Amino acid sequence: MTLKSLDPRVKRLGIPEEWDTPLSPKETLDQFENYEAFIQVKEGKALEHVGPVHAPNEEMAFLFAKEQYSRRGMFCNALCVVKTENIIGTEFSDNGISIYDAVTAQPSGIENQSYEVFHLLKRGKQHKYVGTVMAKDFEDALVVAKHTYPSQKPVFNVWIAESEHILTSNEEDKDMWETLKEKQYREAIDYKGQDRIKAYKERMGQA
Amino acid sequence: MYGGGNVFEAMKATALAEEDPKELAKFEARIDRGEKIEPKDWMPQLYRKQLIRMIEQHAHSEIIGALPEGTWITRAPGFKRKLALMAKVQDEVGHAQLLYSAAETLGKPREQMLDDLVTGKSKYSNIFNYPAFTWADSCFISWLVDAGAIVNQVANSKGSYGPYCRALERICAEESFHLKYGHHCVIHLATGTKKQQEMMQAAVNRWWAPMMHFFGPSDKISVHSDILMRWKVKMASNDECRQQFLDMYVPKIWELGLTLPDENLHKNLETGMWEFTEPDWEEFKRVINGDGPCNKERLAVRRMAEERGRWVRKALLAPKTKYVAPLA
Repeated sequence: MTLKSLDPRVKRLGIPEEWDTPLSPKETLDQFENYEAFIQVKEGKALEHVGPVHAPNEEMAFLFAKEQYSRRGMFCNALCVVKTENIIGTEFSDNGISIYDAVTAQPSGIENQSYEVFHLLKRGKQHKYVGTVMAKDFEDALVVAKHTYPSQKPVFNVWIAESEHILTSNEEDKDMWETLKEKQYREAIDYKGQDRIKAYKERMGQA
Repeated sequence: MYGGGNVFEAMKATALAEEDPKELAKFEARIDRGEKIEPKDWMPQLYRKQLIRMIEQHAHSEIIGALPEGTWITRAPGFKRKLALMAKVQDEVGHAQLLYSAAETLGKPREQMLDDLVTGKSKYSNIFNYPAFTWADSCFISWLVDAGAIVNQVANSKGSYGPYCRALERICAEESFHLKYGHHCVIHLATGTKKQQEMMQAAVNRWWAPMMHFFGPSDKISVHSDILMRWKVKMASNDECRQQFLDMYVPKIWELGLTLPDENLHKNLETGMWEFTEPDWEEFKRVINGDGPCNKERLAVRRMAEERGRWVRKALLAPKTKYVAPLA
């Protein structure tokens, strides 16, 4: 017996009404690994964390992130993705204490690796890109970041990733963001109904 | 889109006594200061468990909710409506992605959540167990089911868990398009030809009972919901959400010349509260437990997608990959 449905598409699929076997559980990573996506909404603004995507590789992660986080509204000027595994995060501090206060070491002076640094300035908000540092390793990068990018406000959490692990959109591919203007039908403002309601009420009033 | 009536786990009286009192005090102080909890922070087991459950149910509701509307994409009247409905359904599936990620930060892998959906172990919003008979049903869902979901989601976006709040802010922004689009569709039918009006009215009649169920049964204040409210997991009672929905939308439904199939429905001007015939909570329970008109179909379609897509996912998976939960 195939499943009965009002949906012609479901009917065409010929799904059995009962399965003979239970669903075999998903294997680990059936949904792929995680990437974190960052978006620059406007030229001159910092790249900002927007959320994760699951993808089988970097290019797919970029594509999914573009679809998930830039399909409408806020204009997107640049996008980058980093495999979550490749981001090292500090602990979270709270109550006005900066996580950098606990960092007491001095920079090693060895600058053979390039790292990108992200700060969280308020709990509940997004991490923002602050800049690049040259350092020996992740711990050293945190120390160098403390000295290179001092913050007026307390920093609650820091993310650091090796520069080469970040896939960023190219400046010359910028026209890929141009499509947003053609997608007005995705915006609430495109659906105005008050005139029709008014006309209806007038019609009813006369009737 | 999502309704209230979350199925929270029963709480053992000892659950809190087992927690480290110092950490618990710090955690509660942080919430009292209005600060958000982030994934690496210490949190009580109960907080983690209830949040996973709530966010997971919300995520499932998004993908299952895409099914009754998705049915109508190919038959939506005209190019513009098809385009808009397709965009809306894409949004819903996108919301599920965001929510699964938020739940993952609490320690439950996405694979396990998707398994639990198909096996029926975890639930989704009950309203999607009803069929969309006509185009007007799809319009009702887009406008009013989404409106109900917004009431819920706006409340929850002020909760205490950072990743869930961030996901909800993004979701609420997109829902405003759904709401306006849905309203637009309903206005066109309700103020259109006699046949269109009748079609719209029939859909309203069909969906009103599930809509009243949407926010869940009245939740009397218990120790349990008291703690969830204090921890800002649950932000408003089911009754509060239902009242807010009625207050905002019943007048908008009536102004279109539509009627609601409950002769007791009215606003008590003295109390400022809406009064109505008590919804049939026996039916609600029956449908949640699997005996609704579409439960079987929803899960069967989901299972089919899982099974038929498995080889693609397998072919794409890079060897030597390891699982890491999302960061925020």
